[in-house]
Amino acid sequence: MSITSFRARFSTGLLATSLMISLGACSGDSDDSAGDGPITIGISLPLTGDFAEPGKGVQQGYEAWAKIVNDNGGLLGRQVELTILDDQSNADRVVADYEQLIGQDQVDLVVGPFSTRLVVPAARVAEEYDMLFVEPAGAAKEVFEQGFENLFYAAPAVANDHYNHLAEKILALPADQRPKTAAYAAMDDPFAQGTAYGLKEKLEAGGIETVVDEVYPPNTTDFSGIAAKIADAKADVLVGGSQYQDGVNLIVALQQLGYQPKLAAFSTAPTNPEFAAAIGDKTEGVLSPTGYSQDAPYPSNSEFVEKFTAQFGVPPEEDQANGYTTGQVVAAAVTAAGCAEQGECQQKLIDWLRANTVETVVGPLSWDETGKPKGAHMIQQWIGGDIKIVLPEDVKEADFLFPKPAW
Amino acid sequence: MPSGALLFQSVILGLLLGGLYALLASGLTLYFGIMRVVMIAHSAFLILAAYLAWWLHENIGLDPLLSMIGTVPLFFGAGLLLQRGLLSRLRPATLTMMSVLLTFAVALLVEGLLGYAFSGTQRRINLGYGSAGLDLFGARIAVVKLIAFGLAVVALGTLWLLMKRTRFGWALRATIQHRDAARLLGIDTERVAGYGFGLGLATAAIGGTALSLDTTIYPSLHWHWIGPLMAIIVVGGLGSVPGAAIAALLLGLAQSLLQIPMGTTWAQTIFYLALFVTLAFRPQGFFGGRLAQRF
Repeated sequence: MSITSFRARFSTGLLATSLMISLGACSGDSDDSAGDGPITIGISLPLTGDFAEPGKGVQQGYEAWAKIVNDNGGLLGRQVELTILDDQSNADRVVADYEQLIGQDQVDLVVGPFSTRLVVPAARVAEEYDMLFVEPAGAAKEVFEQGFENLFYAAPAVANDHYNHLAEKILALPADQRPKTAAYAAMDDPFAQGTAYGLKEKLEAGGIETVVDEVYPPNTTDFSGIAAKIADAKADVLVGGSQYQDGVNLIVALQQLGYQPKLAAFSTAPTNPEFAAAIGDKTEGVLSPTGYSQDAPYPSNSEFVEKFTAQFGVPPEEDQANGYTTGQVVAAAVTAAGCAEQGECQQKLIDWLRANTVETVVGPLSWDETGKPKGAHMIQQWIGGDIKIVLPEDVKEADFLFPKPAW
Repeated sequence: MPSGALLFQSVILGLLLGGLYALLASGLTLYFGIMRVVMIAHSAFLILAAYLAWWLHENIGLDPLLSMIGTVPLFFGAGLLLQRGLLSRLRPATLTMMSVLLTFAVALLVEGLLGYAFSGTQRRINLGYGSAGLDLFGARIAVVKLIAFGLAVVALGTLWLLMKRTRFGWALRATIQHRDAARLLGIDTERVAGYGFGLGLATAAIGGTALSLDTTIYPSLHWHWIGPLMAIIVVGGLGSVPGAAIAALLLGLAQSLLQIPMGTTWAQTIFYLALFVTLAFRPQGFFGGRLAQRF
């Protein structure tokens, strides 16, 4: 969900032509419909335009997945081949791309593009052709309100469920330690707001009073006014529905006013590599939900991190992991159903995913009938100058620190 | 009803914010006064100065305030070149409108080069005193905001003295008031206009440094600033530096206080509401005196 970086990106809009990339083995007889040629997978991604940055991240995830699968002997003994088209971050383009991939190129499987805006039209095309549609992005709740029967979101949770582990932890604190008031400041953005309001709903239901509830537009640069309100209310809990610069600016503005919350949680910003460079040594105890961690002890994760790093020279981030996870989900369904082609096979794949749990690099995933994942995000916390997983208990790297030390 | 403490704190924050606005807008009104140029790229140069301050701090550990020793003369020179090399070539009849297009292109160029040189990653200077504050009757004043306010006072004070007390200032004001008459008096208006433009860009170096103390910067940030700054100079009276300063302080204060009942989104609209009211009822601006440009 790193849409913080694309805004400022030096434009790459001149790459107007579609980019076709084929990966994997191309040798041998290529008889697609029979069972022994390569399995072709069609993907449309925003490789240019607004979402180019995260789009390329997802592309790397898909490529890493195809390479690892092929190095291990392929799927059902067949090699995997990706056909990637560039939709230029354009919703009309994405529809045309999937029509072409399914109808003309006759790919065996399709997987999703990046961003909610492009996932919805793409999923509609896939549904018309009765194709399974696993997608790496599209966490907004609108995606799951369209009545799709073929869609699965390959991540642990939608935005509103990111903080579920934290909400449980807070409400389970003994009554004399439990915070009583909370302040919320969220960017006017469905994703950022969704994270903060998901937690707000649960804390309010648990009896924690909301004393400040501020929404700010994405172009806000001065946060001293919001900070003054929060500091004046002296809220115990501080929750920021932030992207990056807004979270950092708000934290500094609050520090300038001498406000000390018992717990501070921000989406996205604290997991950004720049965060510590911006805030300095005042990060201790800041919390953030995360969909992916290179350190998470899930079985396939260490292989992914190691091989991805070997392939691309840098370790994977969340976008890359989302692409990889999508591949893992499709692979699990194909292996279990024993088939990968258009037609009846697709329904078998859908039915299997509906009923089963898949082990992935972001943990075990399972879905409800709308394709919404049933999990929650891990919660990370800055402890001793490093960001570590503290919740849930079974994957933690450090103990949950509460109350937060002064900043 | 907000508490007295919150009101007092908001007044303080509003004045500090207004001071920063005044500093950032002063160059903009100067360009317009001197040569009827609408300088869309002014805020892009603010961000450029902020990036230079960040880069010097990151690489040689220089305090942002010291970076001004280099950036102020550099920007003065760049302003001189920009005026002599580009803007003075525009035809006088269409100068104002064409200057919008030209400086829009300059803004895109600066933004693109910033992205190319420093990437789109959002940066912030991490200062030891970045979150330090002083207590004043129960309100907190952040040291960095106080420094930015101080820079505004010093820069605007110097500008005022320069305009009122020096021969160059008289020549500059004569050029602003009546270019032909100034020329008849023997003033080299071309050269004065070049220096005036350099002066405007030099304020951008100071403003950008003030901005870098307390903001996270990224190449496209300047688009968020140009709108409010334009509103300030129109409300203040185009071409009037004191007018822009008064408008900046009032609008900063209004924004800060309106945030309490209305929230951030609506408080921002005060700039555009003030712009609308000015254009509808007093197109020459409220604080510019009788010489301010009329729309």
